[in-house]
Amino acid sequence: MSGFGPGVDRSAPAASAGAFADSRPPASDRSGVGSTGPGSAPAVPSIEFEAVSFAYPDGTRALSQIGLRIGSGESVAIVGQNGSGKSTLVRHLNGLLRPTTGRVLLDGNDVRPIHVARLASSVGLAFQNPDCQLFSGRVSTEVAFGPRNLGIHGGELEERVRAALEEVGLDAEASTNPYDLGYSRRKLLALASVLAMRTPILALDEPTTGQDARGVARVRDVVARAFGEGRTVIAISHDMRFVAESFRRVVVMREGCIVLDGAPDVVFGEAAWGELRASYLEPPLPSVAGARLGLGATVTEAAFVAALERRAGTISR
Amino acid sequence: MASASPITAADAGLPDYVTRQPSGFYRSANPGTKLAVAALEVVAAFVLPGWVGPLLVLAVVLATAAMARRMRGLAAIALATSPIVGSILVINLFLLPGASDPIARLGPLAPTWSGLSFGLQTVARLLAFSLAIGLVYLTTAVDDLLADLARRGLGRRVIFVVGAAVQMVPATIERAGEIVDAQRSRGMDTEGRIWRRARGVLPLAAPVVFGALTEVEERTMALEARAFTAPGRQTLLRVPADRPKHRVVRWAAIIALIAMVVLRATGRLV
Ligand SMILES: Nc1ncnc2c1ncn2[C@@H]1O[C@H](COP(=O)(O)OP(=O)(O)OP(=O)(O)O)[C@@H](O)[C@H]1O
Ligand SMILES: [Mg+2]
Repeated sequence: MSGFGPGVDRSAPAASAGAFADSRPPASDRSGVGSTGPGSAPAVPSIEFEAVSFAYPDGTRALSQIGLRIGSGESVAIVGQNGSGKSTLVRHLNGLLRPTTGRVLLDGNDVRPIHVARLASSVGLAFQNPDCQLFSGRVSTEVAFGPRNLGIHGGELEERVRAALEEVGLDAEASTNPYDLGYSRRKLLALASVLAMRTPILALDEPTTGQDARGVARVRDVVARAFGEGRTVIAISHDMRFVAESFRRVVVMREGCIVLDGAPDVVFGEAAWGELRASYLEPPLPSVAGARLGLGATVTEAAFVAALERRAGTISR
Repeated sequence: MASASPITAADAGLPDYVTRQPSGFYRSANPGTKLAVAALEVVAAFVLPGWVGPLLVLAVVLATAAMARRMRGLAAIALATSPIVGSILVINLFLLPGASDPIARLGPLAPTWSGLSFGLQTVARLLAFSLAIGLVYLTTAVDDLLADLARRGLGRRVIFVVGAAVQMVPATIERAGEIVDAQRSRGMDTEGRIWRRARGVLPLAAPVVFGALTEVEERTMALEARAFTAPGRQTLLRVPADRPKHRVVRWAAIIALIAMVVLRATGRLV
């Protein structure tokens, strides 16, 4: 009944936060490789935050001593209450913000001396507010802007634009004016305009906000596909269901610090509820229901149903 | 001009943010007075002949700002005008029509003394203009300005237009920063060479303009939803102070302004 994104094997045990080696599913799951990606999959750099602190010019301390390592090809959700520093954190990935103290490393190299325009070829960042991003009079030129800046042109550019629009379900709107689309579709367009850059690292700031069930399913598919292609996917979200269903690792932030970091089973598990509630977060419903029924860690609807069926099976037998 | 205000906020025992009045030199002056003084300064900068107008106005504005401790803000405004200032100088220096007193010859280009002088004078006028208005902005809470205008019987719609225009400035600057960041994330080069940067103007300008328009539209509807255009007289929550000395300065400024315009129009001020 539930339409989970393809490509990701959800029954496989999720990678624990400590294990950075390779949290990807076996190669057989990665059916997406090469289907939309560039001929040769780009090398996916690892990300490392080394004791990163950041204060805005007005003195607001948004990050304190962040230590975080995200391995090549991981899928990570960042959650936390409003103002906990999530957007600030992801803006360090492509150098939009530079740490006040500490370092951000891509594949072991400090990103400080690298221009944002260069980093954009490694990290695609979709902003929370699409209206800060869209400028063109046509959907297709909008999507072409990013890849063109990366030096893509001609047939490949067209192909990328087409594929990105198709992926978010806007292929019929290629010549529409972006401002004639509703908010949720503008948001998908902003997502497509980053997807078309085909960066090895994809960072999405609240991609599901304002989306109806179909929109959320599209975003889920985008995440699953990028993950399936071996790219690193990082998303900020307040939608715990989306987080539990689409990511292998969840990082919880509070007041500029990371307070929880682990697989969804762990972060949304009963033992962590106190910490979650202290961050004004609700564990996903299946997780709560599963715990009430003594079914163990069931963070997704699918896991919950499966556990329930298993128990029903034991009872009837 | 003063209309009867039934009760003041202080009488009604309202909280601090309603009753609080700004303090300090010039900052506590009545908003309408500051507006009248700025109008006088702007007109003087353009109507008084030669260097007298702009330099006199600049001196007055700078002295007021120094006493009101707003020099830093004024410096920021001056900096913001620098692109226009620069282009005015360059254009006049090289292209002032009829100028024939070259400073030097640089190939096909010949900067002229009269071009330089005219350019500097224009720049001084422009600075006097923007700093005079900027000082009102720096020393006045927008709410107070609008409340004062409302008390003087200006229509709600007019006040909304003025308010929206004034309040759009900081909001737009903040948005512009966000927009620049979004486009840099998509590989737009803002750190590279000038000509590459110039290409980036459209991706920045469009969202700024569209965003500002959408915002005003939404704000209008939000106001409508809160009975903005409901008939009948509105009660003002805050009433900015208007002391006798404020009134004297205001009327003096208005009379001086009218006098200046009349003198100029009748050719007695060249
Ligand atoms: N440009 C800025 N200048 C000053 N302070 C800022 C700025 N942007 C954000 N902040 C502050 O930094 C802190 C972290 O903000 P950030 O936007 O990273 O939070 P967030 O976790 O993304 O929140 P949300 O869920 O609301 O998007 C907040 O206290 C916020 O008020
Ligand atoms: Mg945010």
